[in-house]
This record gives sequence, structure tokens and C-alpha cells, in this order.
Amino acid sequence: MGFRFIHASDLHIGRKFANIPEPPDGNIRGRLMEARHGAIDRLAAAARDGGAAHILLAGDTFDTATPSPGVIRQALSAMGAASEVTWWLLPGNHDNLRDAEPLWDAIHRDAPANVIALTEPQVRELGPDAVLLPCPIAFRSGASDPSEPMVAMPSEPGVLRIGLAHGGVTDFTDSGGAIAPDRDRSARLDYLALGDWHGRMAVSDRVHYSGSPEQDRFKHGRRGVCLGVSLDGPGAPPRVDEIETGTFLWTEVGLHLHPRQDAAAALDKVLPAEGRRDVLLRVAATGWAGLPDHAELHDAALRRGPDFAHFELLTQTLGTEYETADLDQIDRAGALRLAADALADEARSTALSQADRQVAEDALARLYAYVREGAA
Amino acid sequence: MMIRSITLTNVRRFTDPVRVDGIGDGLNVLCEPNEYGKSTLFDAIQALFFKAHGSRDKEINGLRPHAGGAPEVTVEVETDAGRHRVTKRWLQKPAATVHRDGRLIAQADAAEAWIADLLGGDAGAPSGLIWVRQGMTDLTAGTATEQKAALAARRDLMTSVGAEVDAMTGGRRMDTALARCREELSGYATKTGRPFANGPWKAAQDKVAALAERRDALAATAEDLHEALAARHRARRELREWDAPEAAEERAARLRAAAEAQAEAERHAQQVEAAAHRVEMARLTADSARDRLSGFRETGAERAAAAGLVAEAEATAARTAATVEKLGALRDAADRTLAQTQDALKTAEARQAAARRAEAARDGADRRRELADRIAKAETVRREMETAAADARSGPDARTLRRIEELAAARATAIATRDATATRVIAQYAQGRAGTIRDGDTALPEGQPVPVPRALRLTIDGVGTLDLHPGEAGDDSSVAAAAEAMQAALDAIGAEDLGAARRQGAARTEAERRLGEARAVLQSLAPEGLDPLRQALARIPEPDDAEADAPDPQEAEATLGAARDAQDRAHIARQTAADRLSDARTEAAGADANLRSLRDRLARAEAAQAKLGESTEAELAAEARTTDEALTAALAAHAEAARAAPDLATTAAALTRAQSVDRQARDEIARLKPLLARLDERISRSAGDAVEERLAETGQALAAAQAELARIDHEVAVLTRLEKALETARNEARERYFAPIARELKPLLHLLWPEADLTWGEESLLPDALVRDGQEEPIDILSGGTQEQVALLVRLAFARMLAAAGRIAPVILDDALVFTDDDRIERMFDALHRQAGDLQIIVLTCRQRAFRGLGGTALSLAPAGAAPVTE
Repeated sequence: MGFRFIHASDLHIGRKFANIPEPPDGNIRGRLMEARHGAIDRLAAAARDGGAAHILLAGDTFDTATPSPGVIRQALSAMGAASEVTWWLLPGNHDNLRDAEPLWDAIHRDAPANVIALTEPQVRELGPDAVLLPCPIAFRSGASDPSEPMVAMPSEPGVLRIGLAHGGVTDFTDSGGAIAPDRDRSARLDYLALGDWHGRMAVSDRVHYSGSPEQDRFKHGRRGVCLGVSLDGPGAPPRVDEIETGTFLWTEVGLHLHPRQDAAAALDKVLPAEGRRDVLLRVAATGWAGLPDHAELHDAALRRGPDFAHFELLTQTLGTEYETADLDQIDRAGALRLAADALADEARSTALSQADRQVAEDALARLYAYVREGAA
Repeated sequence: MMIRSITLTNVRRFTDPVRVDGIGDGLNVLCEPNEYGKSTLFDAIQALFFKAHGSRDKEINGLRPHAGGAPEVTVEVETDAGRHRVTKRWLQKPAATVHRDGRLIAQADAAEAWIADLLGGDAGAPSGLIWVRQGMTDLTAGTATEQKAALAARRDLMTSVGAEVDAMTGGRRMDTALARCREELSGYATKTGRPFANGPWKAAQDKVAALAERRDALAATAEDLHEALAARHRARRELREWDAPEAAEERAARLRAAAEAQAEAERHAQQVEAAAHRVEMARLTADSARDRLSGFRETGAERAAAAGLVAEAEATAARTAATVEKLGALRDAADRTLAQTQDALKTAEARQAAARRAEAARDGADRRRELADRIAKAETVRREMETAAADARSGPDARTLRRIEELAAARATAIATRDATATRVIAQYAQGRAGTIRDGDTALPEGQPVPVPRALRLTIDGVGTLDLHPGEAGDDSSVAAAAEAMQAALDAIGAEDLGAARRQGAARTEAERRLGEARAVLQSLAPEGLDPLRQALARIPEPDDAEADAPDPQEAEATLGAARDAQDRAHIARQTAADRLSDARTEAAGADANLRSLRDRLARAEAAQAKLGESTEAELAAEARTTDEALTAALAAHAEAARAAPDLATTAAALTRAQSVDRQARDEIARLKPLLARLDERISRSAGDAVEERLAETGQALAAAQAELARIDHEVAVLTRLEKALETARNEARERYFAPIARELKPLLHLLWPEADLTWGEESLLPDALVRDGQEEPIDILSGGTQEQVALLVRLAFARMLAAAGRIAPVILDDALVFTDDDRIERMFDALHRQAGDLQIIVLTCRQRAFRGLGGTALSLAPAGAAPVTE
């Protein structure tokens, strides 16, 4: 029987999702916020089910440095309700020590006994067999490896060393603030629990990003998970189980079209069949379609979209193919045809900017729609 | 078709046939005054071409003369087929006939069909385009039928030269598309392309602006919060550092230690100072002991030396005393010798003097007597003089006497003055009674006024007393004062009264005279006084008895010389002895003085020794050693204390620093606590507002709003682009459609308005606006003159198009330029001439003068000489 714990991160409780459009009678934003709060209960359940007594949250538990008191209190209450587990909260870049000082003060002051704020880089005991080496984030963007202090943190021999840190392993901004991917070796860690990356990612056997338990972007294409980690003893490779905790699925699907294809049918084919209410879907159409196909695709999107929690159709990368027949549908000759020809020429012109071409293309599509309307 | 002649019979006022003949190609002008029948002519021609011979409508009835009858119109036309005579008669025996070259080729309905064919259309006739009625400025005027026919004709004509208009311009579908596009666009933008006030475009822009503003405000607040947090973090850390118990304890300990060190240093400094004092004391003691020892030693030596010297000096003194004694004896001997020699000399001198006296006495006996006599006389005179001098000294001198005289005079004057003003009493005694009136004891003189200067009681014997009281004014004291002054002067010289004084004065004067005389005598006897006389007498030796045995002078003289030499030698010897004695005495005195001085010195040494008391030298030496050791010890102690002393400046500096740190700590704590409270307040306010949360939300909302705005921007751009494309295409199509007519019209138009252009209505196929200098003016708001000019030019253009199509139609103008001014009309004439080249234009006008310049073939309406040409 080894040492078991739950590794999660980036709960971003309190995120508002104001960028998700909401119909006047809709509440998708509220549902998304609620789902983030609900992640607490699902993590607690995962701990219970896996026999873990500790939940390590690797930073960004709160979305902002100054959440409203309701957000804080309700989150702490929910954690406190899971009294059989201990919650270890590490400050991340969103809730970093400096900007979120009042938040951490409030947690120190108000948190139930089983919620522990890791505001100091000091070794903490996780029972007799394991110690936790937390590295809290002091500033929103740092210029040094936040996991560096782990190397110097002492522990008794024969005790598991579990690192907890927040930050990227790839230095995208060239700021020098990335975590060394071999920190597990340099700090003699049995496991390094990382946060910041919202998708699940295994850096190495012992170094893992759990990702956010409730996704908030289209990037990762799967529901959020937490990690159930088992350590049989010092030096033994950890066993890492992914436990799905996400309510909403954020996903982006590609839709490659070619001319004279039934665009509506093609769209239907890529849409998930079930659970659409909990899916935020982005369809990125690519390839080429004729004018009527464009019109049909948009019509189909308007029909299918309301099934989903959120639906977006991206057609920027879908080219339009103009066939003489399409233009003939507008008019064979005369002024209308003249206009259509001019717009089609413009849409194809290489002398114009992409934006102007797009305008001409859409204007042509609109003309097509008007003429079809008139014919109907 | 060209019209060659027109004949009217029974048409309105023309009951007799009239005829216009000789109508040629090109421009023809019928210029007649009003009411001459031009309109009748026009109506007749129109009726011929457009009214069926069977018609009986009101227009046909309008052609009928008042007298009644059947209107009949004949027109000769020339076509490609030859010359035709077309005749119609209405109402009675209506008929229509067409003859060619005098041969009937059609009549009745066949004639109508021929006419219609001539006019070139089934539906309408192109002539409709070109007939211009009097005052008809409107392009579309005329009856509905006419209008319709004209439109059809135009359409027909246009189509014949181009395409179907709808096909060209897109027709209704184009209109619909454009309307849809504009409808959608109008939801967003105004006609000028600005966002519509209540539209979604404006709303999206406003939303983006509002959200951006809100975002900025929240960002500023968040920034503020971050700053406050950072400040609080710093302040807390500082406060913690200052306020921590261990820090405070450390500060206090340091302060305490510094204070103690300072006190210790001060104490030590005092000790050093005390040690220095002790050193000083020991030094003084040692010095004193050393002094005493050396004093003791010196005193001893001094005493010994002094004692030695005293002994020496005593010996010297004894020796010198002996020398003095010896020398004294020698001098005494010399003295005695001298005395002997002196005695001898005296004797010799006396002998010599006696010798001389004797000689002188013999020489001065007479003189002696004379001198003695003079001396005796002089002595007598001198005694007299002394008596006189004594007398001369008593009594007043001349000056005093003169003063007394003056005072007496003053008194007399005062008395006289008083008496002159005083009350006076004059007694006149009766017989035998003289002197019975008395003032006191003095009887008043008889008959002599007695002044009464003051109260006076007169006693009258046997009567009593009489008191007299003079007035107050008479009482003055000047008499008394004068008397008093005189009395005082008299008293001073001891005279009783003035007379005594005068007597005394005289006595004195006498004595002075005597004195003067005696003095003069004495002067003569002894001019230099008596003494020289007496001395001179004394010098004259008195002859005495010894003179008899007076030695020989020469012998006396020799004896005297020898005595004098002996005395001189004795004197020198004595002098020498005295000098030597004096020297010896001086030496002895020096030895004595030295001795005394040495004795004093010895006494002082002894006294000093006595003063040193009982101490022995060994004791003093021991004391000096002891005190020296004490001094050394004190010096060592001081050096030790000084060496071990903490630096007072250092400890003071340390204490100052510790105090400063303490004060700074307190100041900082006092500053930080309220600062923290303020920051807490600020942070709790901002944090409670969840500013970051709202900032994130606003940022997301802003991004969404910006996306929405971008979408709308794109939509507006799309719609604008589409509208523009449609408009451009339609305008282009329209221009293409109207290009032929525009081409014909353009040179005509430019005759009147260079650079002007016309736009065309698609429905009416007529110009709807005149474009001049880029200004588009709708036709119906132009002036009447301009409207009729445009109408005429348009008809000419259509006529020309017809001609170009091989369907020449005459243009008939019935006073078509009523509103046109003279200048413009000239140019219209030019236009007419220009068009007339391959057209037939018939101008009917009443403006004889204005149209005189038109030129062309002049027509006239003349009675038809022959009977109507009806064959």
C-alpha cells in the first residue's frame, strides 16, 4: 500500500466567461462558473474514491488576485465540507502572493482546518511517509525558476519527496521563469506536481501537469481531469491515473469541405451526437465551397447551434469557389451580373488586401442570398 | 416621310379650303399672327394621322366649323415609294383615302392601315415623339393615351438601337437586391456612411468604448490595488522588522549596553582624573620633600660656609683695627706737630701783624679821627631820623585824611539834604523865656530852624511836652549812614572828631618832613650806611702800647715765612697720616661690614636650620625617597587607568547611535501603523470590490464586444461594398442603354449648355435631370424656358435617331418656344438648322419678329384656289 494523493491545478474559481456570448434568456456563463466551483466537489469525490487523503492544488485556484468574498468563502466552505481530505493550496501566477495578499490573508484567517495555504517555501509533512515541497509564486511574472528552492529543502531519508510548483517548463517569453524539466532529479523528487498548463501533460515519469479539472478553452479538446497519484516508496516510479472531472467539453472540430459537397450534411457528420448541452463547440471550416454551399452551411449552423452550450462556426479559412453557374443564378447579363462579376473579380484579385477580398467575397455571397430570397 | 402640302376644308374657321404648299426638306417656317389658324392646322394634321376616319369623338367634333359640315384634311407626303396624297373626312360621309401619283391605292380601313404603317408602329407612332404642341413644355404631357404611345415608341426606339432596358439594368430584381441591401445597411449606417444613432453599429461602437473605458478604469484601480499591496507588503515587513519583540529586545539591549558602557566609560574617566590628581599630589609631595632635603643640605652648607667666612672676616677686622690704631697714633703725632707749627705760625703772624699795625697806626691817625667824627654825627642824625620816622608813622596819612574829608562832606550834604526836606521847628522865645523849650537837655535855639526828621518830644518848661511827628516821607537814614561812615573812618585813626583828625594829619606831615631832612643828612654823612664807616674805622689800627716793642717787620716777615713752611710741611705730613688712617679706617669699616654681613648670613643660616626643626638629613632623605616612590606608584596607577580607559567619544557615539536607532524605530512604528491602517482600508475596499474579477470580466466582455464590432464593421463594409457594386453596375448599364440617345442629344445640348449632361429615367425613358457643372437638377424644377428647350432638343434627338434608323418623320412644332428668350432662341435656331439637314421640321409660330432670323423655307396658308383636290 503506497502513498496516494490527488494532483490538480488551475481551478480558476471565479472566472466570468464574459467572452462567451450569451443569449438574453441564456445562462451559459453562470453554468460555466458553477462548473468551476463544482470541480471542488468532484476533486473531493475523486480523493474519496481513490483513497487519497491529500489534494494538492498546484496554483491558480482562484482566477484573479482579488476574488469577491462570496467566491472565496463558498470555495473554502466546499473544501471544508470534504473534511476527510486535506487541501494544499499553492499560490500561482493568477493568485500570486503579492497581488493576492488579501486573498491569502483571508484564507489564513477563514479557512477550515483541512485547507492549508502554502504561502511559504517550506517543507510540510504529509503524514509520516511523505513531505511536500511547495514553491509559491510571489509575483505575477517571475524571472527565475520557481521550483529552484526545492533543491535545498531538507527531508528525512526514506521519506517521499513531493514537489508542488506552478509555471511553464518551456520558456515562451524568454523571461528565464521556466521550471527545469529535470527538477525531479535535481531536487531528488519522487513526484513533481505542476500547474499553469490548462491541459493534461506528462513531462516525464515523475513530472506532470494535471491540467484544469474544468476546461475553459478550445485548445485541449477533452474534458478536464485530475491526477490520482500512487507512490509505492522512495525511488519507485509513480502510478498516475487520470480521473475525469470536467462537466463541460470544450472542443474545436475541423470541417474540410470541397465544392459541390453537401455542406450541411458534412457539418452534421462532425457534430457530437449526444450531450450537446454540455459541449462548447467550435467548427473551423476549411477547404473550398461554392456560393450555395456557403449559404447552406450557414443555414445549417443556425439550425444546429442552439443545441449546444456554445456554438461557433469559423469560415475565415473556407474559400469560396465561384462557378459560372452560381453567377448565372444571380443574372446572366445586365447590371446584376455586372455587379457580381465586379465583386467576384475583386474577391479573386491579388492586388487587394485580404480584408478587402473578404469584403468583396461576402458582398457577393450576400448578393447571391438576396437574389435567392427574391426568387423564393 | 416628308410632308409636302396640307389642305384643310371645313376645319373650324376654314370653311373655305386653305392650303399650305411647297413644304420642302429641312426647316420650314409658317409665321402668322395669333388666331390665324396655326393650331387648327396642327390639330388637323394630328387628326389626319391619329384619328380614324370613323371617329366622332370630341376632338373630331372640335374640328368642325360653327356652320357645320364635314372636316376634311389632305396631306401630301413623300415616301420612298413616291408621293402620296392622304385625305380623311369625318362625321359626314367619313372617308379615308390614299392616292399615289393620283391613283387611289387604299381607302377606308386599308387607308388607316397604310397610315399606321407609315407612322411605323403597331402600338404607337414615333411621330408621338416629335409633335410638339403649343405651350407644351412637359416632356410627358399629353393625354394618357398619347403618353403611353410615346413611351412605347421610345422604348421601341431604344430597344431597336440597344437591348431591352430591364435586361440591361436588372429591372425589378436589381431594385429588390438594392433595396434589401439598403434596408440592411440603413439599420447600421446613415446615407453618408456614418453609424446610425440608434443602430447596432453605433451601439457596438459605444459598447466597445464604454467597456474600454471601464476596463481602463478597473485596470487603474487594480494597478492602484497592486501598488497598495506592494506598499503594504513593504510596510508590514518593515513594521515586522521594527516591531518584532526580539528586534525591540535587541534594540533595548543595545541601548542598555551602550548606556552602561557610557556610564562605565564616564566612571573610568573620573577614576583616571582622580589618579591624575593623585599623581599631582604625589608630585607636589615629592617635590616638597626633595626641596626640604636639598634645603636642609644647602642650609647646612651655608651655615658652615658662613661660619668659616665669619671667622675669616673677624681676623681681617682685627687686623684692620690694629692698623687703624697704629695709623691713628701716627696721625695724632702729625697733628701735634701741626699744632706746634701752627702755633709757631700764629706767633709769627701775630708778630708780623703787630709789626704791620704798628706801621698802619702810624699811617692812619688822622683819618681815624675824621671817621670817628663822621660816625658820631651820623649816629646823631640817625637817632633824629628814627624819632621822626616814629612820629611820621602816627596820624592819618594824606589819603586817609582825604577820605575822611570826603565822608564829612557827604555827611554834611546828607544833613543839608535832610534838613531841607524835614519838618522844621523854629522857636521864638518870649522875653525871658529863652531856652525853655528843650529837646531833651538841649534848648532849641532862638529863631533858628530845627529840622525834625523823626518824632521829637520837646519839653517846654512849665508847660509840658510837645510831641512832633513828621510825615513818614521825611524819615530817612542817609544822614545817619553818612555819619556812621565818617565815625567809622575816624575811629579807624583813633580821632575823636574831624578836627582831631586834621590835627593828627598835620602832625604826621610835619614828622615826615623832618624824617626827610634827617635822611638827607645821613645820606651825605654815610652814603653807604654806618657800618662801612665803622669797619673802615676799625681797619685803621688803633695805636696801642705794644707798638712800642713791635718787632722788625722784616724779621717778622722771615719768621713768618719759616713758620709758614714748617706749618705747610706739618700739614702735609698730617694730611698724609690722616689719609692713610682714613684708608685704614675704610678697610676696617669694609672688614666690619663684611663681618656683619657674614654674621647676618650665618644668623640666617642658623635660623633656617632652626626652622627645619628637629629633622635630621637622614629622615629628610628617607621622606624624599618615600614620596618619590609614591609618585612613581601614582604615575603607574594613572598610566594604567588611562591605558585601560574606554574611549568616551566611542561609547558616546555608540550610545547616540543606539538612541537614534531606538528613536527611529519608534518613529517608524508610529509612521507605519497608521500607514498600514490606511493601506488595509484601501486594500479591503478594492479587494472587497473584486476589482480583478471585474477587470478580467470586463476584459473578456471587451474582447467579445470588439469581436462583435469587428463583425458589424465587416458587415457594414460588405453591405457598403455591395451597394456600391450594385449602383455602379446599374449606372453603367443605364449609361449603356441610353448611350445612343445621349450621343444624339449631346451636341444639341452643348449648343445651349456646354458640358451639360442629362440623366435618364428608366421607367419614362426620358431625361429626369439636367447635370450642369456637376449639379444634378431634376427637370421639373427647371425654368419653363429651360424645360421647353430640353423637351425640344430631346424630340429633335429622337427624330434624328429615327432618321438614322431610316424612318424619317417630320417634326412639327407649334409655338414650341414661348418661354425662350431672344438670346437662347438664336441657339435653338442653330439647333434646328443643325438637325434639319436630314429631317423635315415644320415650325408654326406667331412670333414673327423673333422668328424672322430663323431662316428656312417660309410657308403661308393660302386659300386653295381650286376646289379641294378630290379625285
